[in-house]
Amino acid sequence: FLQHFRGRKNRCYRLAVRSVRRAFVRSTKARREKKRFLRALWITRIEAASLEHGLKYPAFISNLVKSQVELNRKVLADLAIYEPKTFKSLAALAQRRRQEGFLAALGDGKEPEGIFSRIVHQHY
Amino acid sequence: VAKTSLTSPPWPEVKLPDPVEEAKYHAEVVRKVNGLIAAGEYGRLFAVVHFASKQWKITSEDLIMMDNVLEAECGDRIRMEKVLLVGADDFTLIGRPLLGKDLVRVEATVIEKTESWPKVNMHFWRRHNFQRKKIIANPQTVLRINTIEIYPCLS
Repeated sequence: FLQHFRGRKNRCYRLAVRSVRRAFVRSTKARREKKRFLRALWITRIEAASLEHGLKYPAFISNLVKSQVELNRKVLADLAIYEPKTFKSLAALAQRRRQEGFLAALGDGKEPEGIFSRIVHQHY
Repeated sequence: VAKTSLTSPPWPEVKLPDPVEEAKYHAEVVRKVNGLIAAGEYGRLFAVVHFASKQWKITSEDLIMMDNVLEAECGDRIRMEKVLLVGADDFTLIGRPLLGKDLVRVEATVIEKTESWPKVNMHFWRRHNFQRKKIIANPQTVLRINTIEIYPCLS
């Protein structure tokens, strides 16, 4: 397990025992950290790709989820690397859903009823 | 009424295209894609499949390894449902969230059922005389994706 370690750790039993123990513990912890690290990597890649198409990452992901496209970040990052046309179409879909959301939020554009004035005149 | 900072929304105003023209354009695109699929003028197809609680981007003649046990014997053909995305060079079909089973067909064969390399799970607290060591070897399955086919039944 320790042929590739540095110094006397690869030859002397006492030091080797300690360093092998630490190596095992660190590998178990790293296996849990690896998942978080990979997810952050995918997120940065998707963010870069969506900025190339003029969209920010939160807008992109939220609009994709709202249009019921359940692709996870690993696959989105792979698509952005190897299938640029597909990623462009996904970005266009997210943009269109965003605009429809804006229009739905605006509503009719009329004044609400029961209010006779919105301007307050200041008298000094 | 005077213009305040809240009269217009902070996003730039957008106009959606006309729904009638949009419907015509959509029908045209669907007809073109159907024609392409029926004529068979696509190159390599890739698909995004949800399998074993993970999403995979697969093409034909692909090897996939999963960290669990499948109840199929070696050499069994498996048809994967739950296809999320299918694409070729000129067109992609995006599912919401899944594509229909009569649209796509993904075939795979089970090649290998082995165990992973023995991983060491160790916990150690210094000066507390606390040591736990466990060797874990997960069962793994290897699949080979044979074909991905699409049928021209869009609407």
